[in-house]
Amino acid sequence: MFLSGAAYGATLNVAAYPAVDEIVRAAIPAWKLTHPDVDVVVVSREFNDHHSAMTTALATRSHLPDIMVVEVGFLGRFANSGGLIDLAQAPYYAKQYQSRFVAYTFPQATAKNGALTGLPGDIGPGTLFYRHDLLQRSGVSIEQLTASWDSFVAIGKKIKAATGAYLVADARNLKDVIIRSDLKSGEGIYFDAQGRVLVNTPRFQRAFALARQIRRERLDGNVQDWTSEWSESLRSGGVATQMMGAWLGGHLANWLAPETKGLWRASELPEHTNIAWGGTFYTIPTKAAQPKLAFEFIKMLTLNRERQLAAFRAQDAFPALLEAQDDSFFDQPVAFLGGQLARKQWRDEAAKISAVPVNKLDFIAMEIVNTALDKVLNDDMPIPAALAEASRFLEYRLRKP
Amino acid sequence: MKLHNTTLAPYLFLSPFLLLFAVFGIFPLVFSFYLAFQSWDPIQGIDAMYYVGLGNFRFNLGDDWFWKSLYNTLWLALAAGIPQHLVAIPLACFLQQHFKRMRNALVGMYFLPYITSTVAIAIMFSALLSTDYGAINLLLRTLAEVPLLGQLLPNHNIDWLNRPENIKPAVALVVFWRYVGFNTVLYLAALQSIPKELYEAATMDGASARQQFWKITLPQLKPMMLFGVTLSVIGGLQLFEEPFILTNGTGGSDKAGMTTAMYMFKTAFEFNDFGIASAISWMLFAVIVVLTLITRFAFRERQSPPRLEQAA
Amino acid sequence: MSRNLPMSRLGAYLMVGLGALIMLMPFYFMFVFATHTRSDIFRLPPPLMFGGDFFDNVAILTIHIPFWKNLGWSFYVASISTALTLLFSAMGGYAFAMFDFRGKAALFALVMGTMLIPPFLGMIPTFMIMDLLGWIDEPRALYLPGAASAFGIFLMRQFITASIPKTLVEAARMDGCSEFSIFLKVVLPLLGPALGTLGLISFIASWNNFIGPLVVMRSAEHYTLPLALRSMQSPMNAEWGAIMAGSAIAVLPLLILFMLASRRMIDGLTAGAVRG
Repeated sequence: MFLSGAAYGATLNVAAYPAVDEIVRAAIPAWKLTHPDVDVVVVSREFNDHHSAMTTALATRSHLPDIMVVEVGFLGRFANSGGLIDLAQAPYYAKQYQSRFVAYTFPQATAKNGALTGLPGDIGPGTLFYRHDLLQRSGVSIEQLTASWDSFVAIGKKIKAATGAYLVADARNLKDVIIRSDLKSGEGIYFDAQGRVLVNTPRFQRAFALARQIRRERLDGNVQDWTSEWSESLRSGGVATQMMGAWLGGHLANWLAPETKGLWRASELPEHTNIAWGGTFYTIPTKAAQPKLAFEFIKMLTLNRERQLAAFRAQDAFPALLEAQDDSFFDQPVAFLGGQLARKQWRDEAAKISAVPVNKLDFIAMEIVNTALDKVLNDDMPIPAALAEASRFLEYRLRKP
Repeated sequence: MKLHNTTLAPYLFLSPFLLLFAVFGIFPLVFSFYLAFQSWDPIQGIDAMYYVGLGNFRFNLGDDWFWKSLYNTLWLALAAGIPQHLVAIPLACFLQQHFKRMRNALVGMYFLPYITSTVAIAIMFSALLSTDYGAINLLLRTLAEVPLLGQLLPNHNIDWLNRPENIKPAVALVVFWRYVGFNTVLYLAALQSIPKELYEAATMDGASARQQFWKITLPQLKPMMLFGVTLSVIGGLQLFEEPFILTNGTGGSDKAGMTTAMYMFKTAFEFNDFGIASAISWMLFAVIVVLTLITRFAFRERQSPPRLEQAA
Repeated sequence: MSRNLPMSRLGAYLMVGLGALIMLMPFYFMFVFATHTRSDIFRLPPPLMFGGDFFDNVAILTIHIPFWKNLGWSFYVASISTALTLLFSAMGGYAFAMFDFRGKAALFALVMGTMLIPPFLGMIPTFMIMDLLGWIDEPRALYLPGAASAFGIFLMRQFITASIPKTLVEAARMDGCSEFSIFLKVVLPLLGPALGTLGLISFIASWNNFIGPLVVMRSAEHYTLPLALRSMQSPMNAEWGAIMAGSAIAVLPLLILFMLASRRMIDGLTAGAVRG
């Protein structure tokens, strides 16, 4: 075994997915300056394949990488698996870094037993991208649009009447944002602190009602994200707004809708909603071969200002490190968004995001709620009945053997 | 040392297969059977398994999504499977009789879909099934102009992938596209082994082409039909790839496109319960066995000419 | 032959031709997409004609994954897997078709039973076995399990039962041939079409298989093509043009193999040698 510190000819194995794999690879030259004898091998798989492969490896506790990249949606499950190292313990003492990161990230990586299972690499502050030109043509302002959800819909009607553009691409998107807002303290999205189902509450009722209203008034295009229809509507002015993580800006500029440069702007979500949309964490499995070296590398990826900014510039990975957010890059105008100082805005909004507790069954709950929404939108099922059914269904799953 | 022992011979011939099978086939089978009676969240590690008896099976029986997935699966298996054979048999016969030089090229074109990878299919069909710009809707709208046929077709664009009632036909279309050529190849191979003497004798007896088809070709194709239909039954009931890629892994609106195999995958890797997933697979297995037996019964040999004696 | 085709025959020719074109259509799009950038692919209407970006796409492809290495591995694994499958399936199918032995029905049922287990349910136990054997990241973890093909046995047994009379085998036995030489010299030569068909299907299955490599392969250099191409995919950042280019190249060997195998399969029987 290796002496602590000096490790000759060691290799660190990192398991990742696009585009985090690029971020890790980009950090290797800097790593080699301080650790010339330690090679880093990045094994990249498609996003779902990666998490399936990690599930398989965790199941047998074998062939685990030294560093496992985990997306926040999966972190809730992986953190509670007992297969990741608690970085708050010796010799890592990672809790000391908590104040250096955006506040809501640490709770996301904290397991039920208090273990800190990972460090945040990047965050996805939720934002509203909107077509400035379409709003102008309709004679409305962004403040009017985002004053409240009701005004969002009302103004949306005006925009549709004046320009023919849909308000949103998919009503489901709207539902997703609303159910994440206005959480009482200790509440998760679908379950409360005691694990009770929260699906049949006013928060969901409101989300469903607004989604249905949008569909009925033909204010949504009923297209799924990441399809050709969706990208076409972004390109051609077929849709006036898109709510998503701030990283969408980079995609719009690079390949989704480069010809619409200057026409989009970014704003806070309606009703001053601040939520997170994705996020990457670096974790170390308990069976890692080189946990200490792995931790050194992770520190470089997450605590090093240069690396965080490099990832932001190259892959639109919004820094989780507060110091990295304190750079002139954030004060620069973003050309694609018509010169708006969007990065500064996102930074301020990210600070307001509150941590949301996760539950093992969140993924199932999401699918059940989506199905309920489908029934409301497609089959005209009354909302109370749909939510009651979803609630019952979810409770049934809680009682599984 | 030459082997003449006919008792020992079959075992020896089977031995390579059996060895590999014992190692790589039996263990997963047994493990999955064992798991069906456990509750297991895989990421907690092997030790986290605990016994729940028939609990998983009971849970599935009370699970709406399980029954819905079963309905979707049966629907798709029939809707995609039946046309495959109804088209493949006449197609194979036609190709066999009327094409000599172009036969390989034509069969090749029908076989191409089988070769294509799912990545390519996902992108291609998303473009083709696009509501406003897809070629399929374009084709349908053009055909709707045709006088008689047009009455049957809708005169607006069909939203294939977003509306629950259209997802299953869309998936069935893709599955049909993918496997009709495969079945055509199987039937062509079988047609090649029908002795020409049978047809010559029938022609001399004055039988017409149609009579020869029904009385000679079809009965001779029966073993291959049993084989092909069994494969379609098994494959259809295990349908996973096509619905998965067309609905992006979600099962579509109101889970209208979620097959049982897909539900099993989600239960295992997204909902993280391998015990329930294994129970689902064994319940599906029971359905497949029943349907396979029904297929065998339907295609059973009523008389047994010595040549076609079944070995099992 | 009569020179004037009846209308129904002409109609049938047209439908077959149209059908072939429809089969071809998605394929055509795959090759067209392979020559466009990802922006263009996501456009509506999608591009219909070939573009000029093929080589750019291949360049992007090779930056992200060791494409040619992966292609090589796919070849290696698929070839060995197919060869073994053909041999073992022919032997096994022959045993089931020509002999009566104790436990035959039960064994056959067991073999058929494995065809009914969905592949990904076997992911974790397969991983466990490979780990135990030390075969993780080794190609033999891919081609050896694949050689035990229940489908292959099923197909071979079917074909042998339908086209090789027991009398032929018995005659050879009476002539004093050993069991194995009967198999090699009498039966195997008659299995041309079945071997061609099974060989093609096995090769394709091995080539397109991605669950096996996902479970077993740990380093990008050892990936086979489907896994490698998938590893470039993420809904948000996929280089679709490059992926389509990779898929298009990946399908070519299968096409070539099909053209070779089909000739063997279909023309190989005109001699009518079945009846001996």
